[in-house]
Amino acid sequence: MTQRQVQMRLGTGALLVAIFLIIYAIPQWVSSPSNVGNIILSPLFWPYALAGFTGLAGLGLIFSGVRMAPDGPRVDAPCDTPGLAWLRLAGMAAIMVVTMVLLPRLGMVLTCMLVFLASAFLVRTRHPVTAVVCAVIIPLVLYAFFAHIAGVAIPQGEILRLP
Amino acid sequence: MSFLDSIAAGLALVGNIESFLALFAGVAIGVIGGAIPGMSATMAVALTLPFTFAMQPITGILLLLGVYKGGIFGGSIPAILIKTPGTPASSATILDGYPMAEKGEAGRALGMALWASCTADVISNLSLILFAGWLASFALSFGPPEFFTLILFSLTIIAGVSGESLLRGALSALLGLLLATIGLDLVYGTNRFTFGDPNMMGGLNFIAVLIGLFAIPEILAMVWNPTAHVGKARSLGKNWVSFAEYRRSFKSIVRGSFIGVFLGSIPGIGAAPSAFLSYSEARRTSKNKENFGKGEIEGVAAAEAGNNGVAGATLIPLLALGVPGDVITAIIIGAFMIHGLQPGPMMFILNVDIIYGLFIGLIVSSVFLFLIGSVAIRGFKYVADIPKRILIPAVLVLCIYGVFAVNNNIFDVGVMFVMGWVGYLMVRYHIPAAPFLIAFILGPLLEDNFRQSMLMSGSDPMILLRGPITWFFWTLTVLTVIAIARAGVRAVRGAAVLSGDLDD
Repeated sequence: MTQRQVQMRLGTGALLVAIFLIIYAIPQWVSSPSNVGNIILSPLFWPYALAGFTGLAGLGLIFSGVRMAPDGPRVDAPCDTPGLAWLRLAGMAAIMVVTMVLLPRLGMVLTCMLVFLASAFLVRTRHPVTAVVCAVIIPLVLYAFFAHIAGVAIPQGEILRLP
Repeated sequence: MSFLDSIAAGLALVGNIESFLALFAGVAIGVIGGAIPGMSATMAVALTLPFTFAMQPITGILLLLGVYKGGIFGGSIPAILIKTPGTPASSATILDGYPMAEKGEAGRALGMALWASCTADVISNLSLILFAGWLASFALSFGPPEFFTLILFSLTIIAGVSGESLLRGALSALLGLLLATIGLDLVYGTNRFTFGDPNMMGGLNFIAVLIGLFAIPEILAMVWNPTAHVGKARSLGKNWVSFAEYRRSFKSIVRGSFIGVFLGSIPGIGAAPSAFLSYSEARRTSKNKENFGKGEIEGVAAAEAGNNGVAGATLIPLLALGVPGDVITAIIIGAFMIHGLQPGPMMFILNVDIIYGLFIGLIVSSVFLFLIGSVAIRGFKYVADIPKRILIPAVLVLCIYGVFAVNNNIFDVGVMFVMGWVGYLMVRYHIPAAPFLIAFILGPLLEDNFRQSMLMSGSDPMILLRGPITWFFWTLTVLTVIAIARAGVRAVRGAAVLSGDLDD
């Protein structure tokens, strides 16, 4: 991805977001009382103004992108194996989704142990034993701090109930 | 309350072992966090924030300030030893620090970095004490129109200088402002983008957005390339910095400190430009200018003084005006809010004991920084040996616990994950995250002051130009936009000319 591509994609994205907000999102999801006398004081004014400025910023990005040289240096994050890297990112997204599903069911401590293990093996840790030990100890230590010192009601699941 | 009474009240508040222990622990956590490549002072402060919920306000804020101070110095350790800046502000330290390490003089470079950092820290803290009260007394006369123009100016400068281009910074700030509109309307209480979900009615949780934006993208970057941040640490060598060398560099240190104070007190500029400006000024005026870039100890001193000079000064706009000067102070403003405190001019009247307690704590933090820094230089090897592929899952688990603890709400953990992907996309597309976060914090304040101004004037926009203060901020805003736009146009033209030359 070159600087020009970054600028053009950002500009197009910002423009699309602005159009979506103005045409659909704001009329649909922002409510305003019918008796507001002046548009400036309406709850709709600020989102519309920001959407308008976002559109202008998008246009500006496209305009400046058009003026850039098409064959500039690449600005992507370096990686030896992009295919595997994308797979790992998808794996991380899956871990996050599963975390949200498991948190109310297994509780914070067990879920975090699983999250720790899954993410350590996702990045191919060279210390598997340390990873397993840390996966057990760190969530327990954090539980002890937040539940007993900070007084936070850490969710507990049906399988494991801690004091 | 007289000055002496204020100091006495501050001393009464912080004069206990708990406060000093928190400050000491904060500096230690900051130095370690800043020294770990792949973490940063920002991430260290963000991850420490949830641990302050159970503390007294002053203790929690001192802990965070300690992390901030320690983190800025800690970043210089990997910059010198493995050519990887722990914080962006330490990039200038590499220029002479790493060549010194290659010559076997890493210990000397780190020693000078520590001395320069502590000196700059003291100067910066004294400037904060001198100017914050004065600025706050001036800001007491601000009404909604003045605050609106001040916040608009702050956002403009933050958007303009914190990234590669003004437009990307502006886009980032606009997205932050848009995100801040989620929740109930400030005046009428109607729904805005809440989708009927009660979790959204109070707006998105600030800590979830913050940790999502600054910690999760680092985790995703590590997942993208797990072998990044791997570097070989140089040995410290046998030479240590001498007092004669410190005295020789003293002028550059003081100059760099004042550059840091000046740039740090302007919201948004941050430590990295200050370090580079201090470095280039030292090179321009030094007798040894030909040695700069090849391992000149004065270069290390100037860069470190520049970036540490910012640390106290960024608290000037935070405490006096309630406007965060950079991302870390934006996190610290969150800590104030969690403890029911609103930084700004009124704090100098209502919570003068906390203000002076913080001042005292900051002065003491310079001493702690010197002590802990001396140990950290020798202990870096152990920090560098922490396996990153164990550290990153630990950070993820810490994020989950920390974000949940704010409101006891699993929904916030989801917000953090979503914001993490937004932050990662922003990193990949080179959109600066700082304007997003600061706009997210200042967004409600900006809108509130705007609408209050309109209510005051019966919707007459001329109220936004009502006096010299509003004119002053409007002028600064316009000048900033013009200056940044001109610099951007020049850069694009320069790049076009360069690519034309290459084509020829």
